[in-house]
Amino acid sequence: MRIVVDLDLCQGHAVCQTEAPEIFRVVDRPGDYSRVEVILERPPEELRAQAQAAARYCPNRVITIVED
Amino acid sequence: MAPQSPPEARPRPIRVSGAAPGAGHSAEFLANPALFMLRAWRECGELAEFDLGGVRNILMVGPEAHEAVYRAPDDQLSAAEPYKYMVPVFGEGIQYGAPLDIERQQVKFLTHALRPDKMRGYASAIAQEVEAWVAGWGDEGERDFYDEFKELVLRTSTHCLMGSEFRAKLTEEFGALFHDLEQAISPQAVLDAHSPDEAFAKRDRARARLQELLMDTVRARRRDAGDHPDMLDVFMRARYLDGSALPDELIPGMVVWIMFAGFHTSSNTASWTAVELARHPQYAPAIAREIDAVYRPGGDLSFAGLRGLPALDRFVGEVLRLHPPLVTLMRQVMRDFEYKGNVFAPGTVLAISPYVSHRVPEVFPDPERFDPTRPPPKSVFGAIPFGGGRRKCVGNAFALLQVQSIFCALLARYEFEPVDPPETYRDVMPSLILRPSEPCRLRYRRKRRQAARSEPKASEAHEVDR
Repeated sequence: MRIVVDLDLCQGHAVCQTEAPEIFRVVDRPGDYSRVEVILERPPEELRAQAQAAARYCPNRVITIVED
Repeated sequence: MAPQSPPEARPRPIRVSGAAPGAGHSAEFLANPALFMLRAWRECGELAEFDLGGVRNILMVGPEAHEAVYRAPDDQLSAAEPYKYMVPVFGEGIQYGAPLDIERQQVKFLTHALRPDKMRGYASAIAQEVEAWVAGWGDEGERDFYDEFKELVLRTSTHCLMGSEFRAKLTEEFGALFHDLEQAISPQAVLDAHSPDEAFAKRDRARARLQELLMDTVRARRRDAGDHPDMLDVFMRARYLDGSALPDELIPGMVVWIMFAGFHTSSNTASWTAVELARHPQYAPAIAREIDAVYRPGGDLSFAGLRGLPALDRFVGEVLRLHPPLVTLMRQVMRDFEYKGNVFAPGTVLAISPYVSHRVPEVFPDPERFDPTRPPPKSVFGAIPFGGGRRKCVGNAFALLQVQSIFCALLARYEFEPVDPPETYRDVMPSLILRPSEPCRLRYRRKRRQAARSEPKASEAHEVDR
């Protein structure tokens, strides 16, 4: 699985970071919005449930899990 | 950037009929923005041009148009400019009364106050309030669910915001002051928020009094070194990126801002949810079964439990589709903005209307029919009760948590039916926030399987047979 994030729409809520701290981290950017950084773009299968929770509970629905 | 076509060859939106010289469409807009914009869309389609006192406005309807607006950067489409009328409500130095860079960091403080670890505490605070609220309802009765939810949401939101000690001292004055602020958020304020109008004078007095009341709370909290699970605690510790603290004098503004964003919008959504449940009782059993699996009257309502309520979630989603509390969301063009060959010059206001866009039949077939089983639109920009993009309402998860908690407690106990003929419950807009018409009376009756036994006390709740 691969994690795709629509950065135009990320508001930096950090719900993903709570659900899946191994995959996501929200960083402050002076002069701009705080935004998510994907630490693990291709997370291992054992993190699937966390990745799915992050995608599902993102308040702005910006996370997609792509199977390739 | 692609070269723009010459001005004479460009398409331009159709103009809405009925403009008066000078005032344009102001009179019709002032009377009822939702109905005006619905007419504008029916007459002109995806892009409808109208005139508010000399300002060119474009109503943009549908997922494609929303996406173009919501992806544009702040320095091209400004949210601050068209909402300057909120500055006297929230206060100078807060939100759009502050420079953009500061405002963004203040929004971040709000998101910190709404993070999952905080939400767990809010879920139990809300549950506690709802339990106390229904405790005296008995087996059946009749209530006005516009008034009821206004009172309940005032209690739940002040509890989550400023803790149980503030909530315990909550007076009628606090609610009345917010009422005065709300009355000043009118279509008139959009045109001129500083005109000599009694509603605006009352707004300024109410805001000054709220500053006093809330500063008392801030000072008391500064004297107390403990941790608190509320939002105030987050604001008191908030630091800008340069390391400076959010000044204490601005904390009342943060509270007013978050209250304002979440108070009437949530209570009106709760009211409409109750009305639609009463008008469409066929959907109640599935929702009630789901609730029974995670909650018993008098028991604990957990954050995790609230995540397991897909049918209730869809029901509230459908309520927000047909009755979005905010009927228009505006952006002002700061740099030329192009959409499908149309070029909108600086000064133009772009209006997105959840009320109108949620009625586009290509996105929501048979749009006036209330149907919580309808599939979600393909685009995330189809249903936009909270707006979209970077400037989407940051409280959306909290709002849904609050409404879900309320209905868990209610639907675990009661069934609802309309008191008045079902079609008499209508959307009205006395301010810029949509709400159900009054009276908003519903009859409630304890569910049959529960009627025989009395309500368990909170301490016994876990022993109730499952």
